[in-house]
Amino acid sequence: MSKTNYLCVVRSESGGCEKPSPAEMEQSFAKFNAWREKFQDNIVDLGAPLADGGEVVTSESATDGPFVEVKEIIGGYMIISAESMDEAVAVVKESPGVWSPKSSVEIREIQSH
Amino acid sequence: MNPSELTENFFRHEYGRIVSVLSCRVGVQRIEDVEDAVQSALMTALESWTVRGIPENPSAWLYRVALNNLLGDLRQKVGRTKILEEKVAHEQESTAPAPEAFLEGEMKDDLLRMLFVCCEEGIPVESQLVLALKTLCGFSIREISHRLFTSEANINKRLQRARKQLRQLDKDPTDLAYLQKDNRLPSVQHILYLLFTEGHLSTHEESALRMDLCNEAIRLTSILAEHALGRTPDTHALLSLMFLHRARMNSRSSASGNLLLLEEQNRSDWDQADIQEGMKQLAGSAEGETFSRYHAEAGIAAEHCMAPSFKDTNWTKIADSYALLEKVAPSPIHRLNRAVAAAEAHGPTRGLEILREFDPPAWLTMSYQWTAVLSDLHLRAGNLDEGYRHKETALSKAPSEAIKKLLERRLSRKPE
Repeated sequence: MSKTNYLCVVRSESGGCEKPSPAEMEQSFAKFNAWREKFQDNIVDLGAPLADGGEVVTSESATDGPFVEVKEIIGGYMIISAESMDEAVAVVKESPGVWSPKSSVEIREIQSH
Repeated sequence: MNPSELTENFFRHEYGRIVSVLSCRVGVQRIEDVEDAVQSALMTALESWTVRGIPENPSAWLYRVALNNLLGDLRQKVGRTKILEEKVAHEQESTAPAPEAFLEGEMKDDLLRMLFVCCEEGIPVESQLVLALKTLCGFSIREISHRLFTSEANINKRLQRARKQLRQLDKDPTDLAYLQKDNRLPSVQHILYLLFTEGHLSTHEESALRMDLCNEAIRLTSILAEHALGRTPDTHALLSLMFLHRARMNSRSSASGNLLLLEEQNRSDWDQADIQEGMKQLAGSAEGETFSRYHAEAGIAAEHCMAPSFKDTNWTKIADSYALLEKVAPSPIHRLNRAVAAAEAHGPTRGLEILREFDPPAWLTMSYQWTAVLSDLHLRAGNLDEGYRHKETALSKAPSEAIKKLLERRLSRKPE
């Protein structure tokens, strides 16, 4: 069975959460590396965190965004490959929330045809 | 670089090192800005390294990012004031790639300098301890409160007191001449000793947390012992006693978590590398005329480590060392320990005599240690009524279940 790519959008609650301590960061880092090792065949592009702020463009205008009243903002993305959505969910479920402890990940299949 | 090549506690120790270097550069008054800058640099590393891998020289990478964070922050806060221009202007060029061989020696110097800064005279000792754990060891306030077994609010209060004191100094507290002028080495040794004993003597059952404190104390004392500012016989003695105690720490409890008496411990579990290092440091402490409390304590620990069994321990020498310890650092606890050692060497009656020779303070007679020793000595001397009476009291005063169990076992032995 061939694999399909999935776009994973990481959302995190804006601000508010307590900064992790160096020891906690070291733990996150270790967990992340273990996860990456385990699922190396599924990881296509680890993506990157996104910088704060940005522009929202519509046909009428370009405005500063994302809107601050939005509770969850997109913090990063990555692309993984999996044989099914179930597998993709399994891979993401095991990934430690390295960007922020209070984050969620939306998984969308990238249609190739 | 491969993730497995990063040393254990890399994030925490880099935090301490970089906070020290930057504080020495821009002034300890700005230590909170420095800590924020280093904290964000570590966050950036976490994000970047997970995706792009660890750079060849992670320390230099972190330092550069932290420095840029700090410069940006200071520029915003201070504007173009004189302090900024004088102190930071020459740093601008370091936004260019840092030299590959990052100044390892300089980092150690600054770490040591910050250790001396933490022992600033006007700062109360309990605040000095917290300041060192925060800035040099990279523990968060929550982590410190777990390790010192007190509340976060309390730790925060102690830390604020220390920072306030540093801000109010009219001298640059990192100035080497200033640090050397008042002889601060004894305070530095004392704080390291406290750091160690907080871990080693705590009756708390979370042994991993206690071990953390002991390891940090050994790390910092090792740096002190290698440096011209701190390379004295008593520093070597201090380091020796730390190694010799740590060697035996893991065998103080059984696999099921029960505390073990010295005579029940499996001596082959004692850490031989620690014992060797401890003996080496003890030899290094024997120069000159000084005899400090650290010498006495290291000597006692060495006797235990070298003894083939509980019975074949040189108890006479240990009792003599406790007598010396009492002289250089008078404390009723040392008297109590001397009595225990003397009882092993010359019998329970001798132990009881030593305890009768002085007037113990109320806090000691109220403690489980005192009543447990009295109970043990009386039982062994055949004064059963007194022995059982003290046993009751000792058991009722035990601070934890584990200690209570230990006492029950110890005080139920058959008379010799």
